[in-house]
Amino acid sequence: MKKKFAEQPKFTEKKEYRPKDVKETGLVFVGHEISEDRKVINQFLHYDQLYTIRHGWNSPFFIGLLEGKIMGTRCPKCGDVWVPPRTHCWNLDCKLERTEWVEMPKRAKVHTWTVAGWSGRSSLKRLPIVLVYAIFEGSKVAIANELKGIDPWDVEFNMPVRAEFIPKEERKGIITDFYFVPDDGWKPSPMNEEKKRIKKLVEPVYEWVKTLK
Amino acid sequence: MPRKVCIVGGATTPFDYGPTGFESIEGGAAECVKETMQDIPEFSLRDIDLMIYSHFSVHFGHQLSAEWIIHDHLGLVGIPHYRVENGGNTGGSALYAAALAIKSGKHDVVGVIGWETMDSVSQSQGSEFIALASDTRYELLVGGIYPIYYAAMANKWMKENNVTEEDVASIAVKNRNNAMDNPKAQWYRNEHRYISVEDVLNSRLISYPIKKYDCCLMTRGVAFILLCSEEYAKKVNPDGYVTIDGMGLSSCTIRAGDRINFPGWVERYGVGYPDMTEFAACRDSAEKAYKMADIENPIKQIDFGEIHDAFSTSEAQIYKALGLTDNVAQFLRDERTHMHGDIPMNPGGGLMGYGHPVGATGIMSAIEAFYQLSGLIPKKHLSSKTEVKDAECGIVNSHAGTGTSISNFILRRS
Repeated sequence: MKKKFAEQPKFTEKKEYRPKDVKETGLVFVGHEISEDRKVINQFLHYDQLYTIRHGWNSPFFIGLLEGKIMGTRCPKCGDVWVPPRTHCWNLDCKLERTEWVEMPKRAKVHTWTVAGWSGRSSLKRLPIVLVYAIFEGSKVAIANELKGIDPWDVEFNMPVRAEFIPKEERKGIITDFYFVPDDGWKPSPMNEEKKRIKKLVEPVYEWVKTLK
Repeated sequence: MPRKVCIVGGATTPFDYGPTGFESIEGGAAECVKETMQDIPEFSLRDIDLMIYSHFSVHFGHQLSAEWIIHDHLGLVGIPHYRVENGGNTGGSALYAAALAIKSGKHDVVGVIGWETMDSVSQSQGSEFIALASDTRYELLVGGIYPIYYAAMANKWMKENNVTEEDVASIAVKNRNNAMDNPKAQWYRNEHRYISVEDVLNSRLISYPIKKYDCCLMTRGVAFILLCSEEYAKKVNPDGYVTIDGMGLSSCTIRAGDRINFPGWVERYGVGYPDMTEFAACRDSAEKAYKMADIENPIKQIDFGEIHDAFSTSEAQIYKALGLTDNVAQFLRDERTHMHGDIPMNPGGGLMGYGHPVGATGIMSAIEAFYQLSGLIPKKHLSSKTEVKDAECGIVNSHAGTGTSISNFILRRS
């Protein structure tokens, strides 16, 4: 019998949500152009490839998202807790101790924030995005995610927020399965100079996004 | 006596975006080497005993191991070669590797070639490629581009340091206007205009408090620099060589949110540092470089710098991390880093003016610093306006990730 280093996982729950326009084409030359003097040529190459992201030991975090849970890890030696999780402790004295999984409270606090008016190709239609780094109660680190349910100019440092999940059937086990919203009872502070400035910067973004196909 | 590491020459292609006439990377590399040969005719490619290639993302070129194409194109078969990749600090890290090779005594003449071909995809796709150097599992989908992460860090830092949008805009103005004296700079070649603080404030929102003109440029470009032992430097460029008297390389977390309580930093600098605001790897690598170069008072002992202004905000953060000042707001308002200031920063234009073809960027910064120290600026720039008069000592800074890898080098006139 061949000796195995690890048990092979048996994947029994499968879900496909491939959009119609996602195809694996591999390498396809789709065109070219030549300068008037015929000295220079440009070619257009399209490349599309399916990746398998094997989450391995980090899997409980992503499975947790599907189940509407924020999963963190905790070092049994020093007690440090992290979301995003670390599968081994960061304290050099703990000698890479394997951590244990813990379900985290959904409450967090905004550590810092920004209001994005530009993004990567696949996020342009979501603009403007209020991005916060927030610290889940008990965590030693901050995690980045979107803050919704707020006018962009009203976000503030140290504001209490909580993780909210998109509907279960829409979840993909990815970080955007959840987002932050202001926690109950939080109210925006009155308009001030900085808020006016952000509002002025953000308003053209709303208009620009409407023009996107 | 430890061996000295010297810089004897170097050159870049013009930095640009779009069809420019120098698209082939091996062709561009050859032209950089040829320009260096014109500057130091005693240098021959036969003298090179190691080549280090500095390239960030294979996504842009759609070519793995592109250095192999460049290397044999230069006629260098048989000469050892390898590639260094370290995000935005790829250039600095390649310099570090080259300097170590010479210091070790194993190699005497080491060429470093850096490049990036970022105009092979659209700007928004390019931004997303760069963001693949964030933790894609936890951050990419959320933010999507680096300026957002930098904006979140800078927003808190600026409040804590009373630095305003206008203050950092002055950096964007300075670097772009410096680039107007540099014919190879992307800003000179494209937009080609002098700008004001108002222009920066009115440019479109990227991520508050960062606007379009607070950001560096996306660029195609190639750069070559020649490092060597002092013995060789005295042979090929006895009057113009520069020594690398100090160097430091340090690291920080990939996800900025992970550094607020990181044990390694708490041990070195105490609780609360670097938070998400300070560039600890910049401070740490600068301290290492200063120690090696006997620098106790950087603002007095360093005459100028070519530093990593990926964003105007990060240049301001770097001033503090380099220990130039504790009061950055006043430091900026006094225009200390303008050409008329006591420590001009990015006289070559920096990433906002010259351009940021990632793998070539740190090399470009080192080349500009070398030109300043070897008296070549009047020859390489359009005038002497961007020459730091009587410069003896310069700092070169290269910076990656969200401050994830940072190197600093102290260069002195020989």
